[in-house]
Amino acid sequence: MILALVVVTALAFDFTNGFHDTANAMATSIATKALRPKTAVALSGVLNLIGAFLSVEVALTVTNAVVKIQDKTGAPKAELLADGGSGLLLIILAGLVGGIVWNLLTWLVGLPSSSSHALFGGLIGATVAGLGWAGVNWSGDGSKLDGVVGKVLLPAVLSPVIAAVVAAVGTWLIFKITAGIAARFTEQGFKWGQIGSASLISLAHGTNDAQKTMGVITLALIASGDWSDTKNIPFWVKAACAVAIAAGTYLGGWRIIRTLGKGLTDINPPQGTAAQSGAAAVILASSHLGFALSTTHVATGSVLGSGLGRPGAQVRWAVAGRMVAAWLITLPAAGLIGAVMWWIGHLIGGIPGAVVVFVLLVAASVAMWLRSRAHQVSSDNVNDEWEATPSGPAPAGDSAAFHSDPVEADSVPHASALADVEAVVQAPAEDETDAAITDPAPVAAAN
Amino acid sequence: MHNLGFALDGAWRVLLAGLVLGAGLPVLFALGIRSLAWGAGEASVDASGVTAGTKRPLGTVLGYLLFAIVVAGVLLGLTFIVASGFGNKISFEHIYPTIVPK
Repeated sequence: MILALVVVTALAFDFTNGFHDTANAMATSIATKALRPKTAVALSGVLNLIGAFLSVEVALTVTNAVVKIQDKTGAPKAELLADGGSGLLLIILAGLVGGIVWNLLTWLVGLPSSSSHALFGGLIGATVAGLGWAGVNWSGDGSKLDGVVGKVLLPAVLSPVIAAVVAAVGTWLIFKITAGIAARFTEQGFKWGQIGSASLISLAHGTNDAQKTMGVITLALIASGDWSDTKNIPFWVKAACAVAIAAGTYLGGWRIIRTLGKGLTDINPPQGTAAQSGAAAVILASSHLGFALSTTHVATGSVLGSGLGRPGAQVRWAVAGRMVAAWLITLPAAGLIGAVMWWIGHLIGGIPGAVVVFVLLVAASVAMWLRSRAHQVSSDNVNDEWEATPSGPAPAGDSAAFHSDPVEADSVPHASALADVEAVVQAPAEDETDAAITDPAPVAAAN
Repeated sequence: MHNLGFALDGAWRVLLAGLVLGAGLPVLFALGIRSLAWGAGEASVDASGVTAGTKRPLGTVLGYLLFAIVVAGVLLGLTFIVASGFGNKISFEHIYPTIVPK
């Protein structure tokens, strides 16, 4: 029963992982109209599906980078296996819930935060709650890049900078080289350049990210005694994860695509090509060298870099600052949600505890989905101008209000419907949300 | 802080590879586009009407050659993704890439 909840929750996480990260590969291609929005998400979805099936080598030890719930072979720690592995299952469940809630919240405000950080944050929080501070692998044993510091924090600081430098240099050189050439050559040529590099990123994303969920589900299966092979994973797990991440990608996180493609800087095809190839090269090179980094951080850094490299381009630093703020709090915020979920599940205990945690997840997800309905972003309006123009009447307040604010900052219409505990879970994140999305200029324009 | 050392060591390698492949290939691509445009020649307009530019086949050939190098770079990236999915990696010890078990 708990196992079933864990599997469903893990697939749900995989799904949010997909739609949260569509932007990384496709935001610039959509913004420059190299691909139509629907075509872009379809292409990315298919490539993610293929990529997920390509990952034969399975990262069963994926959690080892940050928490100590498995040994080196991937088998769960023996002391966690008492009572049908329910101790371990609860940690995984609470961690996944932390990751999903944080992914949805950042999607709601249109910020590209790292899905891997959300997952790791949730797992760290649940582990601290369940096993204490010593249960977390903070900085490894000093023999290689490892632990929370080495695998998560340092790469998160370095990767956007690296990607930004590469993309800035690429953009600058491209503009130097193609200066004075007829637009029919540059526009057409660079559109193909963008499509090619965006496809590489989608494929790499499918192989990397779907694996994490496959590893987590298989760990849960081993904990409950339904699977014992630490070298392989069941085929249905692989198929389910591949479909979940591809479906999520196809659904498209339009809010995030919009922020990355239109919000950060205005992108044209040569810039898009430079940004995407820079991101693809950095992602592939780092995974070749075993230097794990987040696709999201790289993609954002490279878009920023392409804005810096193009002479005369404007970078909206306020938007960039909001993203960095979101990155900084992703780990602790997802961790806090994971920890609170674990305590709730633990206090109630057993199957009812897990069910309550699951119900809370569903309630939080539905609440955030309902709030997102107020100002929808879809394939139709994803490319609208970022700044609302002050001239002209605001048409019915709807599309103009959308520019000001993805979410109304003042009202929390659905939170009251949730249980008290839920409010506690959301409270710290909610504060950040309100602070982050308040952008005075466009609000004034909308009014 | 061993991790900081490892991270900085990894970071400059990634930066170097990123600059060579991530900025270098787009630059070749841009040069290819420039060659194609040069090869197609420039049309000019004067009193007698529009004169088509003189074609320069060298530019066209050079342009496609540069595109081929870029495509080869992309294929290398694809090979890497597929190979690492099957538990292999690409070795550069013979200069040309070979696939070896991880």
